[in-house]
Amino acid sequence: MALPKILQPSLTPDELTFLAEEERIDIVPLFSMTRVRLLGGIYGPFTPPSTATVPVWLALSLKRKRKARIVPPTWLNIESLQSLLSEEKTNAESFQRLPKRFIEISKVLLDVAPDDLQSPSTLRSLLKDLREVRQAKIRLGLQSEGVMRGSYLQVTNLTPLELTELKPFLVKAMGMMQALEPKREEEGEEGLGEYSQA
Amino acid sequence: MSTRTLTFIDLVFVEGMDDDYFSLQAILADNHKLSCTFLLDVPGLGYLEGGSDNDLKENTKVEIPFWLAQTLSLNEFTTFPLPPPYAPRVRSALNASPSSVKLSNLVGQGGWWYRWGRRLADVLDDVPQSELLGMLLRAFVGRLPNLQDLAAHHAGADHSAPEGGAGSGEAFKEGMEGDERELFGVGQDSGRLVKVWYDSNWGRKTK
Repeated sequence: MALPKILQPSLTPDELTFLAEEERIDIVPLFSMTRVRLLGGIYGPFTPPSTATVPVWLALSLKRKRKARIVPPTWLNIESLQSLLSEEKTNAESFQRLPKRFIEISKVLLDVAPDDLQSPSTLRSLLKDLREVRQAKIRLGLQSEGVMRGSYLQVTNLTPLELTELKPFLVKAMGMMQALEPKREEEGEEGLGEYSQA
Repeated sequence: MSTRTLTFIDLVFVEGMDDDYFSLQAILADNHKLSCTFLLDVPGLGYLEGGSDNDLKENTKVEIPFWLAQTLSLNEFTTFPLPPPYAPRVRSALNASPSSVKLSNLVGQGGWWYRWGRRLADVLDDVPQSELLGMLLRAFVGRLPNLQDLAAHHAGADHSAPEGGAGSGEAFKEGMEGDERELFGVGQDSGRLVKVWYDSNWGRKTK
């Protein structure tokens, strides 16, 4: 393939953020305007103080120009993050299901619109804790029995960003393990059942 | 999105150790020297031994690269014992503590311990073959957690790397062979990519 090595295995974090910016979010516009027809769709009307639903990229753009206030998604507040974190901690076996584009959107909103969120520094540290708990689980998972047998890794509810981080290493490591597997399949019939991909 | 609810990373595309025709690593790994014993006289090949004799006598030991030894051995012109990097001594050291064996010392800097072992296994009979492959696999699996920790640690992300493990980590890093080194690089790169994203500030971007 002609793509550079680093782009081959999966989407980069920047590409994932780009995709996340297609999600819808509520804003309170600070200007009045009728509906606008853009290539991506029709947005508006913008009549303060009522909210309008726009894609994240438009919300960010308006926010940067100080033309809107972003209404944070329902999951981006201290209470729901704390409950997510405590559930993530108590359930050591599996990953918590996170809202769609959770990491990307929380990061971007904290960077661009910290003044629209309640106590952004607490949110930041909660998000960091959550990430660390999940990272520790991923690390344990990489040493689990499934990986050691070169067959699978349980990744239910991992976010695309976490997969981006994990995938290149995991795929190569598992490829090596499969190459080193004693090759009974080609040489005789006796090992066929045992080694067929279940 | 379907990517988020995916349950398995499907590993159909194995890119671990390809024996691809164009794989440089595969070519280089075939170049490891092997001590072979000739089972017959070969006229005119005395120079391989480095002596002044014109002919190569039966039972002479000669160091030849694996790609040559493979063909010769399959045709029963030569035989070779299992080379020192895969000797029982190494096997017991690996059983004792996989991560403290310096594989790079065994096959030389930039050598390919796993690849070469796998190529050797191709030539062997069933029982020694599965023994050798089993040793390689156990060694790899035993060393993988260390390798992963080290790659994550060097990527500089907020991973829970074990404290005080830095000393043994460096020793392990020196002992990595070719493919482990590559794997380390892969893990480090992807970790760094994500860390750079986390450290970037979207607030300052003007679009």
